[in-house]
Amino acid sequence: MQPALELKRVRKTFGTTVAVEGMDLVVPRGALYGVIGPNGAGKTTCIRMIMSILFPDAGELSVLGQRSALEAKDRIGYLPEERGVYRKMKVGAFLIYMAQLKGLAADDAAARVPQLLQEIGLPGVESKRCEDLSKGMLQRVQFLGAIIHQPDLLILDEPFSGQDPVSVRILREHILKEHRRGATVLLSTHVMANAEEMCQHVVMIHQGRKVLDEAMAGLRRQFDLRTIHFEPLDAGADASSLSRVSGVERVESMDGTYRIVLMPGTDPAGVMARLAAAIAPARIELSRLRLEDVFVRIVAEAAGNEVASQALRASVTVGPEGALA
Amino acid sequence: MKQSIRRIGLVAGREFLAAVMNKGFVVGLLLMPAIIAALFVVFPRLLNRNVPAIRGEVAVIDPTGQVSGGLRAALVPEAIAARRRDSATRALQNAPEAVRNAATTTPAMERAIGTPPQLTILERPANADLQREKQWLTESVATDGQRHLALIVLQPDAVVAAAGSTKYGSYELFIPENIDVRLETELYDAVRESLVAARISAHSLNRAEVEAVMNVRRAASVTVAVGKERRTNVAFNQALPFVFAGLLVFGIMIGGQTLLTQTVEEKSNRVIEVLLSAVSPLELMAGKILGQMAVSMLVLALYIGIGLFALMSFAMIGLLDPILIVYLVLFFLISYLLFAAVFSAVGAAVNEMREAQSLMTPVMLVLMAPWMFATVIGREPNSTFAVALSFIPPVNTFAMMIRLGSATPPPTWQVLLTMVVGLLAAAAVTWFAAKIFKVGLLMHGKAPNMATLIRWARAA
Repeated sequence: MQPALELKRVRKTFGTTVAVEGMDLVVPRGALYGVIGPNGAGKTTCIRMIMSILFPDAGELSVLGQRSALEAKDRIGYLPEERGVYRKMKVGAFLIYMAQLKGLAADDAAARVPQLLQEIGLPGVESKRCEDLSKGMLQRVQFLGAIIHQPDLLILDEPFSGQDPVSVRILREHILKEHRRGATVLLSTHVMANAEEMCQHVVMIHQGRKVLDEAMAGLRRQFDLRTIHFEPLDAGADASSLSRVSGVERVESMDGTYRIVLMPGTDPAGVMARLAAAIAPARIELSRLRLEDVFVRIVAEAAGNEVASQALRASVTVGPEGALA
Repeated sequence: MKQSIRRIGLVAGREFLAAVMNKGFVVGLLLMPAIIAALFVVFPRLLNRNVPAIRGEVAVIDPTGQVSGGLRAALVPEAIAARRRDSATRALQNAPEAVRNAATTTPAMERAIGTPPQLTILERPANADLQREKQWLTESVATDGQRHLALIVLQPDAVVAAAGSTKYGSYELFIPENIDVRLETELYDAVRESLVAARISAHSLNRAEVEAVMNVRRAASVTVAVGKERRTNVAFNQALPFVFAGLLVFGIMIGGQTLLTQTVEEKSNRVIEVLLSAVSPLELMAGKILGQMAVSMLVLALYIGIGLFALMSFAMIGLLDPILIVYLVLFFLISYLLFAAVFSAVGAAVNEMREAQSLMTPVMLVLMAPWMFATVIGREPNSTFAVALSFIPPVNTFAMMIRLGSATPPPTWQVLLTMVVGLLAAAAVTWFAAKIFKVGLLMHGKAPNMATLIRWARAA
């Protein structure tokens, strides 16, 4: 079966700035892909090229088996990063209009609107003007505009930006629901925590180039399971015995808790049992994979610049909108 | 293709409804006819209703001794009213019958006549001191409400020419500041009438005979065209080019302005990218232009309808060749297309209305040009200037519409050529504008200048 999305050596420049370079990407049907990277990495440019809003200078792309998104418009749902509404239009009319543009009959669209609004936590707003809704509510309305025609491919550019934690949770549920329905989902975010929680597969972009293209499961195997967080039951316990446990590479102390890095190839389960035997733990857990660690490791630490790596980490951790729900 | 047309239709429908279902639009739509109605109905009533009669004194120095009696008679209120009635009737002589009938009804006539002034004639001795009498004019006497309105000084040979001459003397009229213009006219008319009467009786002539000899009724010309004749109506023929040019400009302004503001708004509130995921830029532009065209057509249809109704109610409908309405619509469509393309391109290129101003200035100047040459073309509709303008876009449609409305319409081949030139220009401008529209929609940041726009068009 043809992939939902395929990019081959795609390149895009704006004047002298190279926005995207040598981009190869295959998104299989029914997948949930996350495109991550700091602001300005080229995520939006990639998405706009996929949507045929911009056109690549070089390279090829196919969308839902078509040579361009223009030929499959009605089967694609798109939530752009720059998203707006007609402020004076009523919410219901706006959604029906969007659905009609996507090929739905007016009656079908009108029938879907109240139920969709209900499901997304905005019951009865269809007769309100868009300008009377809060920003978070409007974003949910815009999301509905992207899915009302039940697209085969859903492309969401920074769907969580500017959202409060409640909205983020609601949106995440609905994105997963669309995915369960069978839609292929591609979402971009600069807040990597969002991606690691819901994506099956992540693509990292940095300075216009793809630096990582991996399934989350593979990433977990590859990059993690090597760090254990350990908190002793007795705060005064002598921690030096921890570093003598076999399989431990080094122990870092962080105000009362310890970050224990394992030697490559060690089975974490055995180490955890041995650590617990050495000192009674209040808490012992295998650290969660953090994409930002992966990102910083790939990009910045390769360059060996400590200041730059910290700045990068800051740019992809928790965004100003605090979207880590 | 079918999908594309469907989407264009949807965009056009939304544009139309967004423009029409709007308080501002309804108010604007009604405001224009309301202002016109106010000008034609309310204003004259305000002018003539309950004007207090002018009361005052007119001093006469009459060395001939034969005029002041007649003058006194000519300035009584009844005589003034009779003269006003005569002149109003004369003015209406060439008007279409329905207008004449409507105007000569008693209330309308009464309004035209107004309240005649109440004048007191003061005869001064022939040897009165002119300086003293002029001084008298400047003394306004308010106590009894009588103003000093005029001083009429007749020359001694005003009634009988001096020996050896065939020329009669005349008179001088002195008035104070701030005198009513209409009163001044009354005085001229009254002096003329009494002088003529005095001269006729001095020559022992029969006044009725002399008047009969002098009177030649001015004919109302009849315009002869193939198969039909119609009364020439000078005023109508003069007004028509202006009305046509006005309707064209007005129609374009309505649609064009909304097109510009809507596009800028869509761009600035970022709804544009959402739309672009569903429609192509060209579909969007086409839909917007068509939607606003429908708005303009609605307004034009309304105003043309009001105009036709007015003509019909005055039985003047025969003056208007119906083909002119067809031409008006065709020329409107051609020039609308051209200007709408420009408006939408400008809207797409800028980030906010303020930035649109500098790009719009030349467009507005071109739109205003028809007003400047409407008179020139209307007067000489087949001059080289008028013919040349008929083939130079984008003013060609306006020039041709003015010529079509004039008394001597242009040959048909010129009309057709104007249409062809207009269509070609519209197509070229739309092609260029579409490129700017496409690139401009997603461009944010510095306001573009003309050079940037041309670069965009090249890149697209």
